Amino acid sequence: MAEQKAPQKWGLVVDLDRCTGCNACIAACSMENNIPFVGEDEVAYGRGLYWLYNKREWRGEYPEIKPAFEPVMCQQCGNAPCEPVCPVFASVHSEEEQINLAVYNRCVGTRYCANNCPYHARQFNYFDYELPEPMNSYLNPDVTVRRRGVMEKCTFCVQRIVRGRQKAAAEGREVEDGEIQPACVQACPAGALVFGDVSNPESKASQMARNQRRYQLLEELGTLPRVTYLKGGGRYGG
Amino acid sequence: MKQPKPWWQQPGFRVGIALVLLILLGGAVSAVYLTQIPPEQPIAFPHNRHVGLGAPCAYCHPGTAWGPNAGLPGIDKCWGCHQQVQKKSPELEKLAAYVANNQPIPWVPVAIQPEFVHFNHQPHVSAGIACETCHGDMTKMTVAEPQPRQNMGWCLSCHQKMAPEQWTKLSDCATCHY
Repeated sequence: MAEQKAPQKWGLVVDLDRCTGCNACIAACSMENNIPFVGEDEVAYGRGLYWLYNKREWRGEYPEIKPAFEPVMCQQCGNAPCEPVCPVFASVHSEEEQINLAVYNRCVGTRYCANNCPYHARQFNYFDYELPEPMNSYLNPDVTVRRRGVMEKCTFCVQRIVRGRQKAAAEGREVEDGEIQPACVQACPAGALVFGDVSNPESKASQMARNQRRYQLLEELGTLPRVTYLKGGGRYGG
Repeated sequence: MKQPKPWWQQPGFRVGIALVLLILLGGAVSAVYLTQIPPEQPIAFPHNRHVGLGAPCAYCHPGTAWGPNAGLPGIDKCWGCHQQVQKKSPELEKLAAYVANNQPIPWVPVAIQPEFVHFNHQPHVSAGIACETCHGDMTKMTVAEPQPRQNMGWCLSCHQKMAPEQWTKLSDCATCHY
């Protein structure tokens, strides 16, 4: 396929050689974005709500078996399959941030976008989930609490992007590289996640994304993901 | 021969009655929509008197300078001036009671946004938007009154008018909805 170009801005780099599969990103994401706790029974049915899930694979033959982790979130495609199928424009492309937005108040819950997403990144609120005490006091006021019948997904913590831009503008400067961090990047103890402005070739995320180890999920679909994965030869702990 | 229907069973009369009822119902609905009833406040705060005396809005609502919420004044802020002012109004007696019991004043927020709208005062104040552009002329109100017709089209019309060069950013869904 001929190389496609699209304007890009925010990008995330996931260094899988650093990822230990600790799931801190998932916990941080759930807390930052008011993701409902569906309860044990629903998780057992495979209906857990996560904007960011850890795809775990076992590689090799016993006893030489090794885990491989791949945190998968919304890839914020430049050519997103979820966008053209939405009948109410709730899944729209942000011209300013160059990410895919989920506009909760527009969503009518057709779930076309989730069915068309090749990354299984979109989650649907089938019920009004009760938050157990004292978790209902932990809700982030910067993020809408979604109600039943609304599709939701990773937003690259757009509330932090907006707040960081407003803070920089109030101080009369440009947003610095590394100043805006989504919750998963902030929580990663191994530094496996790097977020930044990939339209700037000097940013840390751009420099890491030019690595030889780079690949993107389902690149052959031409979705132009903004998330880049780095994966080397497969040596662990050494 | 068929008897003619009486006048109240004529289709023209019935359609007319239905139309009149629809118009009345529509008028009632729009009247309810456009009538904003200020919620009852614990103290009937006279905004007009304070603004008339020259108190700047940001003296009691200082959060506008740095954050999303303007903030509502607590007993310290009120009492800072009013302990030196003679207490002859019954509303000031209520304030004095809150101060004596060291209780916060349970102000009722008036200008509230829906949950899915994230408004930040700071960029608007920095851009030099006057408070009365959105909150109405406080010199004519006692307690704060909600302003009608403040919907998304109203936000966007101002964004378009004030900063057309930043229209891409200011019309982006993620500017307010996340």
